[in-house]
Amino acid sequence: MKTLFLIAIVCGFGGTLAGAHYVPWLEHARLPSHTSVVANGGRAEQFLIRLPADRIAATDGEAGGLRGTGTEGTMLLPAQFVAEPLLVEHFKVRDAADNVVGVAARHWHGSGAAATTTWSILIPSRGALVLNAFGEPRGALESALRASGYSAGNAWDGRAAVTMISPGELGVVATGTGEFEGLSGSYTEEWTVAAVDENGRISGTIELKTITSQPASLPQ
Amino acid sequence: MKHLFVVLVGLVLGAAAAGVVLYYNPLATRSAPEPNATARVLHYSLPDQVLEFAVGEDARLFGQDTGRDSLWEETIDRTAVLGLVLNDAANQPAAVASRLMATSGDTDLLLRGVLLTDHWLITLPGQGTLFVRADSNAWPFLKNTLVPVWYLERPWNGPADYWPTVGPGADQSGVVLGITGAFRGSEGSVVEHYKISALDRARGVALANAELHLNLPGPRVAAQ
Repeated sequence: MKTLFLIAIVCGFGGTLAGAHYVPWLEHARLPSHTSVVANGGRAEQFLIRLPADRIAATDGEAGGLRGTGTEGTMLLPAQFVAEPLLVEHFKVRDAADNVVGVAARHWHGSGAAATTTWSILIPSRGALVLNAFGEPRGALESALRASGYSAGNAWDGRAAVTMISPGELGVVATGTGEFEGLSGSYTEEWTVAAVDENGRISGTIELKTITSQPASLPQ
Repeated sequence: MKHLFVVLVGLVLGAAAAGVVLYYNPLATRSAPEPNATARVLHYSLPDQVLEFAVGEDARLFGQDTGRDSLWEETIDRTAVLGLVLNDAANQPAAVASRLMATSGDTDLLLRGVLLTDHWLITLPGQGTLFVRADSNAWPFLKNTLVPVWYLERPWNGPADYWPTVGPGADQSGVVLGITGAFRGSEGSVVEHYKISALDRARGVALANAELHLNLPGPRVAAQ
């Protein structure tokens, strides 16, 4: 009986420590990745954001325009930053099959010679991807909408597509973590607006199309 | 029946002993060394400088209402998104930061603690954008502050200091990369520091001052 008791204690002790060590307590649910192989051997993957459903928040500075002030979830910038050419947006991100798989932050910054856009996309079960490009001119979305007949304060529907990377420039994969660590590549970003309501709320999609690959090894 | 009872008591005693070992386990409380005096610092106060906070339903430390911005989908329900204003050493707003956080699959209660992965985008107007990647160990905060004070309602003995960064860079510090502007191409290390002054039950938040100690060769991150 005494031996049995001691064995049970050892089993309880060891089992608990083994559970603490081996059980994946905080792993994230993972959906199959929707990727395809492209001709040069890279991997193509598309991410989708549906507006307004996937919008989490955006800053309210003067640079935001409709994107910053047209909806709920506004981040109120301190007075020092309101006039700065800066727009920060947070979104949920979907895969090509329209499932939410991650979250993302987009920073548009207009200081310097040219505006820049940086995306940080976190897919918890896979890692993070950081994308960077020369960004769109300030108010690019509003300009495209006005050219399509939109006027502020009125509802509008139709189709306005805006490529958010400057013509002739290429968006690049700046860095990555987890599964995306060490990858290089490029991306495109297109916003398609299908409607704007009286309050300035945008309905549409953001498409991020990435092509990533492992950098070729250096010659020996 | 007597044998079964003995086995059950033995298992429970063994598990309890292991629980004590895990609770006092020094392996799960390691963190990066405190930075040297040359590190540049961006700081913020919680919750005053939080622009926005969206949290997954399984990532709520304080059991707070997740509200309209809830990250409820199963793929992101252990994730949080924060918008923050960061101040410089003169206590003036210097940057806007987005912080994408998630629990880490590398969590190991025996050897590493409860790990969180942090992905920051920090834009300093007129200067450029930084990307920060840091792993944080939340176990010391959970063990010493949140569980005893918040859940067991023991008296608060704060303020409490935490240096949670545990990687993924050298010396267990985080990694900072310059993405745009004056920072483009630069790379360095980062360590976080929290000074928690109170846990506010009414609002379901911790009141804290937090600092990002950045060591980024090249351009200055913020005025010293």
